Amino acid sequence: MAIVKAVKTSALPAPLSETSVVGWMKKNLFNSVFNSLLTFVTLYIIFMVVKAVWVWGIADAVWVADNRRECFSINPDGACWAGIFAWVDNIFYGRYPREELWRINLGIFSLFIWLLPLWLPRVKAKISIGLTAVFLYPFLAGYLFAGGDKGIFMQIMFTAAIVCLAANTIHSIIGVLIGRSLPEFLPFLLGQKNVNEKNRRNIFLGVLALGFILVYVWQMNWNLEGVSWTKWGGLFLTFVVAGIGIASALPGGIILALGRRSEMPIARALSISIIELFRSVPLITVLFMATTMFPLFMPEGFVLNKLTQVIIAVCLFSACYMAETVRGGLQTIPRGQFEGGHTIGLGYWQTMGLIIMPQALKNMIPNIVGNFISLLKDTTLVSIIGLFDVLNMLRAIGKDRTWLGLHIEPLVFGAMMFFLICFAMSKYSRHLEVKLSTGHKH
Amino acid sequence: MKLSTLFTLVVALAVMAAPISASAAGKTLDIVKKRGHLRCQVGTPSGGFYNLDAKGNWYGLDVAVCQAVAAAIFGDKNKVEFQSVSSQARFTALANGESDLLSRTATWTMSRDTQLGLDFLTPNFYDGQGFTVLKSSGITSAFQLKGAKVCVTTGTTSELNLADFSRANNLNITAVTFEDWNVRDDTYLKGGCDAVSIDKSSLAANIISFPKPDDHMILPETISKEPLGPAVRQGDSQWANIVRWSEFAMINAEELGVTSANVDKMRASSKNVDVRRMLGVEGNLNEGLGLSKDWAYNIIKQVGNYGENYEKYIGSGKGALGIDRKGTLNELWTNGGLMYSPPMR
Repeated sequence: MAIVKAVKTSALPAPLSETSVVGWMKKNLFNSVFNSLLTFVTLYIIFMVVKAVWVWGIADAVWVADNRRECFSINPDGACWAGIFAWVDNIFYGRYPREELWRINLGIFSLFIWLLPLWLPRVKAKISIGLTAVFLYPFLAGYLFAGGDKGIFMQIMFTAAIVCLAANTIHSIIGVLIGRSLPEFLPFLLGQKNVNEKNRRNIFLGVLALGFILVYVWQMNWNLEGVSWTKWGGLFLTFVVAGIGIASALPGGIILALGRRSEMPIARALSISIIELFRSVPLITVLFMATTMFPLFMPEGFVLNKLTQVIIAVCLFSACYMAETVRGGLQTIPRGQFEGGHTIGLGYWQTMGLIIMPQALKNMIPNIVGNFISLLKDTTLVSIIGLFDVLNMLRAIGKDRTWLGLHIEPLVFGAMMFFLICFAMSKYSRHLEVKLSTGHKH
Repeated sequence: MKLSTLFTLVVALAVMAAPISASAAGKTLDIVKKRGHLRCQVGTPSGGFYNLDAKGNWYGLDVAVCQAVAAAIFGDKNKVEFQSVSSQARFTALANGESDLLSRTATWTMSRDTQLGLDFLTPNFYDGQGFTVLKSSGITSAFQLKGAKVCVTTGTTSELNLADFSRANNLNITAVTFEDWNVRDDTYLKGGCDAVSIDKSSLAANIISFPKPDDHMILPETISKEPLGPAVRQGDSQWANIVRWSEFAMINAEELGVTSANVDKMRASSKNVDVRRMLGVEGNLNEGLGLSKDWAYNIIKQVGNYGENYEKYIGSGKGALGIDRKGTLNELWTNGGLMYSPPMR
């Protein structure tokens, strides 16, 4: 039998229709008369929209002006962004005193510093960093934002938060640089090489206690001017309400979901009634009840400020929605997993914490983040009960005599802000999904 | 459930509970003094009456009432915490003790005054519903609006007033209703209706927000009575007196020619007994209110008299709405208006 060819023929390059842009277009956009027509119509619509937005928002827009009348005299057909610039402090910080804005910036910056190590490689003890952020950061931020006189409890928690933030930061720097944790590094710093686990811990705690005393003494003479919550507003207020809602939604939701699946009748009945009660009324009703009706039922002199009432209402509401999401996650876990946990001798909480929850929550990431996004957007409802959140602030611009009637630009600006924030959140959730690889690869 | 139905329900419930909280609330003045600041309720920003500026401060004619009361009590007009409450919740928030005082262009009507557990005080602005039309339309009187399409906002009394006016005069006006005032104005500007109808102060604010204000005009007719003024909870006459006389002091000061600029001079050297009594140089007018002797002086010094505030926020002042005071009900009684203060003696 003759050999047809001894040398392997090299593969031909893919045909032009598969690689070139023209080929791709031919295949996807112009593969029939109808589709070609559709492509042209769509392109035309996109072109018209983009052109209109471009002309109104950029080409004809007025960027610098002292009032809206001046905008009109410069160009009556373009957007008047000058009003947004003039109101930018109001939009971001509300009516917060202008000379105290650094406190909000510092508060947000310290949250960033606190959470940053969670994303850094080589940093150890990420769980404790996360836990301290949840339990201590609120006191740091709360005092920075509200100020005023510190009670003894606040003094202790504020000090603890500062010490913890400092320890976390040093710990993370050491972690990134040499891959050690702070307790491991401290004895080394003191010149002791071989220290056992127990002494290492004692040294660490000793240093923390020393830091605590130093900071405590320092903060006793350090007071911030009180800023009433009525002056909080803008995007800052939106973040405070949504942030607390988001932070408490997951723990609250997990507890409620476990309660609902529990075999203890009272816990189950309570969980079901709370969940169903809050899920069956709209958020605005809950907010309205919390702010208007609640004070009527309280004894005289009992004053809980409106912001606190709103935050409690938002927390309860979001926890109930989260509970159902978590319950959905729990139901995706096969029964074998529970039984497996019991077989190796784990109790209820260990089974839940070590085996069930990590899987359930991982499965539910898209839904959880979806909940968070909708909660962030829902918080704009607080404008209806008179809090000057970002939406109310944006609406107020058009009522100010200087910018009278300016209402489209603020709303467009608000839409862009919300899009950026929500888009970032959803991107991050996709990233988490990939990282934890929950997408089932079939 | 529709939002408005819900609010009505809540308000009704709150009103039932109101007498309890009102009687339990004790003396409002003592509570306010103990707290150290006044809680004054305004609404979501509204042209000329209560507005936020770019620095986050409140200003406006109704805001001035809050500031006057704070100046009378504390001698400091800044000791006010402004509460911005939606219009659906405004009376509830007053009834449940959240606000000490409501000063937010609320129309004084009989049903509100008698059924909601609150007392309306002296109006600080007499408004009325009117019409804005294009000058080019040739319409010069509301009675020429036969068969016209008129843009109004839903859920307000303006819709009702318009229907009454149309029926009474056989005008056959078609009301085009909008939830949102921005959309209403855009529709009018694009020719979707022949006129806009709301309170005249709002019409004036609207016109100056249009690209070409000179193309529009407000028709002379006023089709409704809208006396706007502050309100307090029923059952505390001392508190009502303080707010009422703070307003009267501003009106009286204008009548007597006392302004924030000359009040110091007047107090030191005026021979007029009325001025001396008002400013606390003579007599004991302050005792009935439970305030210090210089209560009225503080109001005029820090907030100004009524006319000054009118010009600053509503009248021809820079940054005001440009509603001419001449010939309106908001003139002093000596000039043919309704601003009249009982004698301070």
